[in-house]
Formats: sequence, C-alpha cells, structure tokens
Amino acid sequence: MSKINVLSRSRLRARAISGFLRHFIGHGGAQLGLVCLGFFLAVAAMPDTLVGPLETAITATGDFLAPPSRLHYLGTDEVGRDVLNLVVHGARISLTIALLATVISLVVGTTVGITAGYFGGLADVCLMRVTDFFFVVPSFVLALVITPVALEAMGAGGEILGFRPSLFVIIVVIGLTSWAFVARVIRSQTLSLKERTFIDRARVAGSSNTSIMLRHILPNLVPQVAANGALVVANAIYIETSLSFLGLGDPLQPSWGTLLSLAQRSGAASVGAWWYLGAPGVCVLTVSLAFVLIGNALDDTFNPRRRVIP
Amino acid sequence: MPDNAELLRLENLQVRFPMQSSAIDSILGRPKRVVRAVDGIDLNIARGEIVALVGESGSGKTTVGRIITKLVQPTGGRLLFDGTDMTMAHGVSGLRPYRHRVQMIFQDAYQALNPRHTVFDAVAEPLRSLGLVENHDQLTERVSESLSAAGLKPPEEFFARFPHELSGGQRQRVVVAGALGVRPELIVADEPVSMLDVSIRAQLLQALIDLREKYSLALLFITHDLPLAWLIADRIAVMYLGKVVEMGSADDITLKASHPYTLALRDATPKLHNEAGRGGVQALQGEVPSAARVPSGCRFHPRCPLAFERCRVEEPPAIAVGPQHTSACWLAK
Repeated sequence: MSKINVLSRSRLRARAISGFLRHFIGHGGAQLGLVCLGFFLAVAAMPDTLVGPLETAITATGDFLAPPSRLHYLGTDEVGRDVLNLVVHGARISLTIALLATVISLVVGTTVGITAGYFGGLADVCLMRVTDFFFVVPSFVLALVITPVALEAMGAGGEILGFRPSLFVIIVVIGLTSWAFVARVIRSQTLSLKERTFIDRARVAGSSNTSIMLRHILPNLVPQVAANGALVVANAIYIETSLSFLGLGDPLQPSWGTLLSLAQRSGAASVGAWWYLGAPGVCVLTVSLAFVLIGNALDDTFNPRRRVIP
Repeated sequence: MPDNAELLRLENLQVRFPMQSSAIDSILGRPKRVVRAVDGIDLNIARGEIVALVGESGSGKTTVGRIITKLVQPTGGRLLFDGTDMTMAHGVSGLRPYRHRVQMIFQDAYQALNPRHTVFDAVAEPLRSLGLVENHDQLTERVSESLSAAGLKPPEEFFARFPHELSGGQRQRVVVAGALGVRPELIVADEPVSMLDVSIRAQLLQALIDLREKYSLALLFITHDLPLAWLIADRIAVMYLGKVVEMGSADDITLKASHPYTLALRDATPKLHNEAGRGGVQALQGEVPSAARVPSGCRFHPRCPLAFERCRVEEPPAIAVGPQHTSACWLAK
C-alpha cells in the first residue's frame, strides 16, 4: 500500500513538473534565455578544454592589440594575450561570483522577509529598518568601502575551492548589498500568505511558528524566490562588473569586469581596439539579458491564475 | 448524546479591537473608537452536545469560534474548558494539550488546505505537531482511519492527492478528517457546509452527526442558517451584533421563539410549503449596524418592529422564558 502511495505521489509530482516546464519553455523569452545561459554555463564549465589554460603576460602568444584574425578569433590585448582565452576564463569567474552572491542574497532576503512578515510588530519594524538601510545605501558605494577593508583583514593569499579569497569577499559584498529588494518582496508576500486560512488551520493543529514558516509559507514563496532570484543574478553580474571595472577585481582571476577595466586602462577605446572592449561587454549584456528573460518567464509561469504547482 | 457534564463555558467573553484613530480625532481629544466584535457572551457546551451559534454575517459568531480555538485572544471575560481557565493560555507548547482536545473545521475548505501539501500531509500535520504518533506506520494508520471516518474511502487513494485535485465536498472532508484525527472532545465547525452543494451538504451533516454518536464529540456549529441549526443541534444560541439574544433548545428557538430577531430570522427563511404561497418571505429591514457603533439600549432596536421607548435606553438582560430558554427582550415572558 505504501509503495503504491509513493509511486503515485512521484507520478503526480512528475506530471505537475512536466506541465510547468512545458508552459515555461513555451515562452520565446525563456527559450532564448535558456539557450544563452546554457551556452555560457558550458563555456564556464570547461574553459581549459576549450581554449587552454589562462594566458598570462609570459605565456602570451600574440601581437599587441592585434585585431581579430584566424589565429586569434577575438584579437589580442595590450600584452598579446588572446582575448577569447580571457573571456572564456572570465565567464567562469563572473558566473561563479554572480550565482554565489545570489544564493547569499536569496537566503538572507528570504529569512529576513519571512521573519518580518510572519511575526510583525517590533520584529517587523526593526528588521525592515535594517532592510531600508541596505535599500537606500547606494550598494555600490558600500561595496567599494567594504571590499578593500575585508581584503586587508583576510589577506589575499591562499586558495579556497580553487578560487582566491578576494573572490569570496566580492561574493559576500554583492550578496549583502542586494538582499534588501528580495526581503521586501518576500515580506509583502508573507503578509498576504499568513492571512490565509491554512495558516490558522496549522495553528489549530499545534504547529510551531518555525514549522509554519518552513512548511507552509516557504513552499508557497517558491515562485517569488525563483523569479526574483533570476533578476538578482542579473543585478549581481552588473555590480560585479562595475566593481571590477573600478579596479576592485583580482587581476590574477580576471572576470569580465576586470577585462573591461584593463581594456579601458590600456586605451583600447582610443586606439580602436573594439574587440578588446566589445567581447567582455557583449558577454555581460547577454548573460544579464538571459537571466532577466528567464526571470520574467518564471514570473509569468508562476502567475497564480494559471499556476501548476510542482 | 449529552451527558450534562459541562465541557466548555464562556463567561462574559469580550473581544474589542481598537480602531486606528485619525490625527484630528486625537487632537480634539475624542475617545478612541473600539470595535466590539464580541460583547459579552455567556455560553456553555456539555460533553457530546451539539450547540449551534446562529447569526447574520457581522454578528461575531466566527470570532467566538476563533476565541474558543485560541486564534483570537479575548480582551475580557473567561474561557473555561473542562474546569480549567484557558483565557490567558498562549504559546505553541502551552496550548498543545488544549489543541489536542479542541479542533476546528473551517468554512472555506479550499483556503484551509495548503495547495502544496498532499491530503496525507494535511491530515497528518496535527498528529505530528501534537506528538500523537510514534512512528510512520502508526501515522499512516491514524490518517487512514480519520479519512475513512470522514467518508473518504478507500483512504489510500487520497493520500497523494493535492487539494486542487479534489472536489469541494472531498476537500471539506479532508478538513474534517484533519480535525478528527487527533480525537478531540470539542470541534468548532465554522459554517462547514455553507460552501457545499445541497446534496453533499446532507452527507457531510450526517457524517458529523454519526461522529458525535460514535466518539461522543461536542460540536459548536456556527451557521447563518436557522433550519440547518435546528436539524443538527441540541441547543441553539442566536447572536446579534456581538451578543447572544436568545438561547434555548433547538425546538424552543424554532417553534417558540420569543426574541423579535429570532422571529425575523425564521421568517426570512424560504419554505417549500409556505401558507403565504410563493414569495412569502419576510425580509428583515436594514443591515447589521457596525460593531464600532453599537446602538444604545437594546442593540436590535433600530431594526425591531416592536421597539418602544425602553428599548432605546435600557439594554434588556437575558430573561428566562422557559426551562433552559432565555431571551434578551423586554417583551419576553
């Protein structure tokens, strides 16, 4: 009996999920976004097999600021490194930073939003004032202040999971400066969810506040978290690019922002080396656009009027 | 059947919500307005007894149910359950023993079930939260038993279903099963059948009556439907604007009603065989006043066809008009 139960439950889940996916994929925007994202994820997953190890000034093979040719599809930079090589390796750094920062931002934002919305009263006031602070403080300026201080405190040596610690500082900084938006959205949704009768029923059933938040409210927030998460990734990519462009990136682990910064400093624009500025720029734009498209498609798919619950 | 041992007693229970006063009001020093949702209710329920609480929308009957299930904290009066004062009891762990004995059936079964939980999860939730089962086998057994008791057979077929895959009647049965699962002594049923089709209504009512017989369960049946109350209840309390205006046995209230409001409710009910022929319904004039502006004197006087001078000034107490039958009207005798 319990076997039948498990089977039919997974069958139902599978049916709901496939229905959801069919609707989601039906969006033109989602298709484009997924294709772009899939391409960049594949590139980021295996940079070494695609273009070989990251080139440095010593291992550089090309001429200085050479335009695209058969040898270097995207030209070279001011020390003769292949731009394609740099951009492909940059994808890995940029995507890692953006995705991990989004995880932090979603976890902090959701926790704060649910707690403030569910408990209300003093907890709500205190938490939302903190959120307001992060909301109105120009996150960019805050990041500019925190990053060097944190780097100083942690030291820039060593490696964690194959990435240098400076990368993690940037991740934390971006995560901490972009959760306020998520917290606001989640709080407002929690406020409406907690008035639903099934929360009263859970209370009469003797469920604790933690269990109500985790088992009743959180699963119903999945649409909001997913749709906003995609937008937060796009935002995180922009912040990362800007911070690196201003020189807070790690030159030994160049992200797209770092490349743009190097290009700008080497005067690529004035000598007409469009490939050097354009390649990372187009990458940033495409990936952000992909996430925004996916976010919008998710938002539309989760629209409660025609929602299929996975 | 009721064995006269008192299970629940409400003594002068009140709920008042303060209203947000405007800046002008506070500058002029006007007193803060309060909404008197429940304005002094006395009610008792014996073990195994079915008491119906009847009233229009806005009469505060749902709030009474929510006080008893501790979803709303009363601002005055006392709530006694089996001799223990539960008025001030609060907190999840503090209320656990009480929750084990008092459960609730909600009006809108679709809203009362989490769209992301299966039927099994919904029925198992109180059993898990209240720590009534030791292992998964026991849980499965209790869930099957409750689903069958609520008329969902065979129960295993419903385990993996989601609320949107059930009909309205089935959903309401799931809610009933969830309340039954913990084997409570009192169930507060807030308009349990008002959302259902008439044919399903009768089935569910019969199921509730059977359950009362089987488990000697007490039931507070909240409804706006007087004939329905007469059908199911041993006693009926009629509420108007936060107060019980008439209380008595089901037959007393329907056949020997003495309060003009009860009479008006009764006459407002369509009957299949009406002496006055089709269209013979006496509609009650006006609407329930706002609970923020309770009329002086008898709260029903602005709408009462029999109101006289005394009704405007003095509020009538509950006057005994028969054994166990009281009516808050100056004309009652």
